[in-house]
Amino acid sequence: MSSAHDVTVRIEKRWAGMVIGLIALLVAITIYTGLHWAMMPPSRVETVDPRTLHIAGEFTESNLGTAIEADGSVTVRLLAQQYSFTPQCLLVPANTPITFRATSADVVHGFLIDHTNINSMLVPGYISTFRSSFDTPGEHPMPCHEFCGTGHQGMWGNVKVVDKAEFQKLKSESGRSSCVDP
Amino acid sequence: MNGERLVSLRNHWFVASVGAALAIFVFAFLVGFVWLPSAQTDVQFQGLWNAICSAAGVPQTWVRPSPAAIPLGRITSTVVVTPQMLGDPAADSIGRGATLSLKCTMCHGARGLSEADSPNLAGQYPAVVFKELQDFKSGARTNAVMGPMVANLSDQDMIDLAAYYAYLPRLPGYHPKPGQSAPSVVVHGAPMRNIPPCASCHGGVDTKTGSPWLEGESPVYLEAQLKAFASGARHNDISEQMRNIARRMTPAEVRAASEYFAGQP
Amino acid sequence: MLIHKRLILAHFWLAFASFGVALVLGAWQMYVRSPLSPPINDPELYYRSVTAHGTVMGYVFPTLIAMGFGYAITELALDKALVGRRWAWTGFTLVLVGSITAIVPVAMGLSSVLYTFYPPMIGNAFYYIGIVLVVVGSWIWVALMSVNLRVWKRDNPGKPVPLAMFANVAGSYLWGWTAVGAALELIFQILPVALGFKATIDAGLARVFFSWTLHAIVYFWLMPAYIAYYTIVPRAIGGRLYSDTMARISFALFLVVAMPIGIHHLFADPQVGSGFKVVHSIFTAVVAIPTLLTVFTICASVEIAGRLRGGKGMWGWLGALPWGNPMMLAVAFSFVMLGFGGAGGIINMSYQLDSSIHNTQWITGHFHLIYAGAIVIMYFAIAYDLWPHLTGRALDSVRLMKAQLWLWFVGMIVLTFPWHYVGILGMPRRMAVYDYSDPAIEPQALSVVASAIGGFILVASAVLFIAVLVRGHRAPRVETPVYRFSKALHEAKTMPAALNGLALWLALMISLTIVNYGYPIAQLVSLDNTSVPAIRIGGQR
Repeated sequence: MSSAHDVTVRIEKRWAGMVIGLIALLVAITIYTGLHWAMMPPSRVETVDPRTLHIAGEFTESNLGTAIEADGSVTVRLLAQQYSFTPQCLLVPANTPITFRATSADVVHGFLIDHTNINSMLVPGYISTFRSSFDTPGEHPMPCHEFCGTGHQGMWGNVKVVDKAEFQKLKSESGRSSCVDP
Repeated sequence: MNGERLVSLRNHWFVASVGAALAIFVFAFLVGFVWLPSAQTDVQFQGLWNAICSAAGVPQTWVRPSPAAIPLGRITSTVVVTPQMLGDPAADSIGRGATLSLKCTMCHGARGLSEADSPNLAGQYPAVVFKELQDFKSGARTNAVMGPMVANLSDQDMIDLAAYYAYLPRLPGYHPKPGQSAPSVVVHGAPMRNIPPCASCHGGVDTKTGSPWLEGESPVYLEAQLKAFASGARHNDISEQMRNIARRMTPAEVRAASEYFAGQP
Repeated sequence: MLIHKRLILAHFWLAFASFGVALVLGAWQMYVRSPLSPPINDPELYYRSVTAHGTVMGYVFPTLIAMGFGYAITELALDKALVGRRWAWTGFTLVLVGSITAIVPVAMGLSSVLYTFYPPMIGNAFYYIGIVLVVVGSWIWVALMSVNLRVWKRDNPGKPVPLAMFANVAGSYLWGWTAVGAALELIFQILPVALGFKATIDAGLARVFFSWTLHAIVYFWLMPAYIAYYTIVPRAIGGRLYSDTMARISFALFLVVAMPIGIHHLFADPQVGSGFKVVHSIFTAVVAIPTLLTVFTICASVEIAGRLRGGKGMWGWLGALPWGNPMMLAVAFSFVMLGFGGAGGIINMSYQLDSSIHNTQWITGHFHLIYAGAIVIMYFAIAYDLWPHLTGRALDSVRLMKAQLWLWFVGMIVLTFPWHYVGILGMPRRMAVYDYSDPAIEPQALSVVASAIGGFILVASAVLFIAVLVRGHRAPRVETPVYRFSKALHEAKTMPAALNGLALWLALMISLTIVNYGYPIAQLVSLDNTSVPAIRIGGQR
C-alpha cells in the first residue's frame, strides 16, 4: 500500500512541476513582450482637477485634438464627459508614434478603439497617458465601454486613420486637428 | 503533529510557503519596478530610483506641452458646473431675485413664462440660469438683448435671479400638445452617431447638472439653439457637450425634438 | 447527520428564489439589447435591471449558498450539531433584510449604478446600506465556521480536520477578508457621500478598494464548487479522492493567492502605477496553480471511478463512468466550462493581452462561463446531492435533473461563446441599445441573437431546477442513508499542522494583501487633490 501511495505522490509531483513550468512560461512571455514591444497599459499616474478642465490647462477646448510634435510624433488630447468624447472624431496619421492624453470631466468612462489594443479607463481626477500607433489607414468606432449614466449607450465616437501625406493635407491650421464635421 | 511548531525554521511547510511567497514577490517586484521600466523611453523611467517611483504610481508630469495651438478666437464658458453648485439659496436671495427679475419680464414673462419665443424660466434649474447669465456676461454666449442686460449684474445678482426663477412654479406652456408620443431621438437617440437620448440629460430619464429643463419651451427657440450649436455659432456648452450632439442631428430630428419638448405640458 | 435542516433549507431557498428572479432579468436584458427587440424606450430600466441582476448574482445568491452549504458541511463533516444556531439565524436575517433594503431602491430606479458601484456616481444610500448588511450577515457565518472548527479541534485533539471542513473554513476566511475591500469603499467613501455628509469622492481609490474584493470574490463563489469536486463527486460516482493532501494544498493556495491579485482588473486604470500592475499580473498567474492541481486530482479521482467500474485501457474508463448519474454529468460540464473559461482568463490576466478585450463583451462572456457556468452548475449538483438529507424525502426525478443540467450547459455555451467573439470585435459591455443597422457593428448582430437564445435556454433550465426541488419536497418520505464525503485513496492518520489548520495561510494571505495593496492605497489616500464631485443618480426625472 505504501508503495502504491508513493506512486500516486510521484505522479502528482510530476504534474505539479509541469504546472509550475507552464505558469513560468506564461510569465516569461509577459516579460518578453513587455521588454521587446515595450507594451505598457496606461499607468503613468498624473492628477488633474476635472472641474476646471475647460477653463485652463491642457484640456481646454482649443487644445483638444491631434497636435504635431517637433519630433514628428503626434499627441492626441481628448476628454470624456456624459455623453461624448471631445473631439468626437479623432484624426490621426498612420505609421506615426501617437501619445494619447485623456481624462474625464465627470464620471468614470472607458476609452476603446475597436480592432486595436488601445483601451483605457478614464477616471475623473487622473490623466491617462499611453502610446500607440496605427499600421494602416481606416476608420474605427470609439465607444465608451464603462457605464457612465443613462445615456451611456449613445457615447460612440470615431477614429479616422489616414496616411501621413493625407494627414498633412487635412490638418487644421489651428495646430489641433480632428475630423469633427465642420 | 502534537507539539509541532508551525512558525519555525524547522517546519518545512512554513519555510516552503513563506519562502515561495517571498521569492515570487521579490521576483515580481524586480520585473515590475526595475526590469520592465528599463524598456520605457520616458525620462520618468530613467534611473533606478525614478523607475521605482514611477512604477509605484507617484504622480508625475508625463508629457511636455505641445507646440501652442492657435486660439480659436471664440470665448468659451468659464463657469465651474458641479452637482453641488449654488446649494440652498439664502433666505433673502429669492426676494432680491424677484426684484431684479422686473427687468426680465418684458421677454421672459411676469411669472417666468415667455410669450415671445424667449426661454421660459419658471422652475428652471438654478445652475442653468446662473451659468447662462455668467456666459452672457463673459461673452461665451452672445445675444444682442441679453448682452447689455447682464453687463451690470454681479455674481450675487445672478445667484439671486437663479434662486428666484427656480422657486417659481413650473407653469403649463402656451403650446401643449398632450398625448403626443416621444420621437425616437428623444427616447433612443442615435447611438452610433453619438446622439444619446435627449431624455438622459434633459429630464424624462435623468437630469444632468447644467442641462436645462426644456418642457414647454418655445419650439422656435429650441430649434434655433440646436442649429446654433450645430454650426458652432453658439459655443458656451462646456467642452462641446451639446455641439457634439447637435451637429450629428438631422434637420428632421432637430424639428421633432423641438416640437416634442415644446408640446409637453 | 443534518440537524439544523430548516436553517440550511432557508439559505438554499432564499438563494435559489433570488437567483430565479435575477436570471429572468438577465435573459430580459439579453433580449432587449438584441436585434430581436426594438430599442428600449427607457434605457434606465435596462441599467436598473443590470444593477439588480449583478447585485443578486454577485452578492446575495452565492453568499447564501456558501453559508447554507457551510452549515451543512459543519454538521456532516464534524458529525455534531452546529454551534451558534441563534447567531446563524441572525446572520440569515441580516442577509435577508439587507437584500430587501438594497433591492427596493434599485427596483425604484434610485440606484442604477450597477453592482460595481462606480463612484463618483452615487445612488440611494439604502442600496449601499443593504449590501453592508448582507456582508455583515455573512461575516457572522465566517465567525461561526471558525468557532465550530475550533470547538471540534478542542474535542478531537490530534485528529485530522475533515477535508470538507478544512476547505469550508478556508472559503469563509477568504470571504471574510476579501469583503473588507468593498466594505472600506462603502463605509468610508460611498456612504458618507450617499448620506450627504460629503460631496466629493476619490473615484480612483474607490476602484482600488473594489478590486481588492472583485477578484477574490470569484474564488469565494468557486469554493463550494471546489469542495463538491473534492469531497462529493468521487463518492457520488463511486470513486475515490486521489489525494487528500493535494486537495488541502489547493485550498490553502486559493486562500493565499486569490487575494493579492485584484489589480489585474485595473490594468487599464490611470491611477495605479505599472509596477503594481506587473506584480499583480504575476501573482494572478500563480493562482492558476491550485486550479490546475484540482483539474489533475479530480480527473484522476474520476478515472479511479471508471476503473473500479470495469473500465480498461487508455480511454476505456471514460465509457465506464456513470453517465446516467447527474453528479457525473454536472462535473463533466463544469470542467468543460472551467477549461474554456480558464483559457480566456489567461488572456485577461496578461498585462498586455488584456488591452485587446478589457471591458468588452469578452469579459462578460468570461465570468459567466466560469461563474454562471462551471460554478453554478455545481451549486445545482450540491442541491441535488443534499436535498434528500434536508427533506427526508427521495429526490428521484433523475431524467429531469439530467435534462436540466444539459440545458444549463448548452445554454451557457450558446450564451457565452458569441459574447467572447463580439468582445474581440470590440463590442462594449452594458449598453442598453445597440444600433445594429450601422455597418460598423452590423457583423455582431447574429452573435447577439445567439446569446439571447442562450439566455432563454438558461431560464428553461432554471424552471426545471426549481421543479425538481419542489417535487423533492412532495416525494414520499424515505430512510436516507448516512451522508458521507468522499474517501481518499490514502487516508492519513495524522496531518502536518500546516494542513490541519489555516493559521499559516491566513497570515500569508493578509501579509501579501498588505504588501501588494498597501502602497497603492496609502498613496491614493494621501493625495489630497483627487476627490471629485459626486454625481447623484436617480434624482429628478
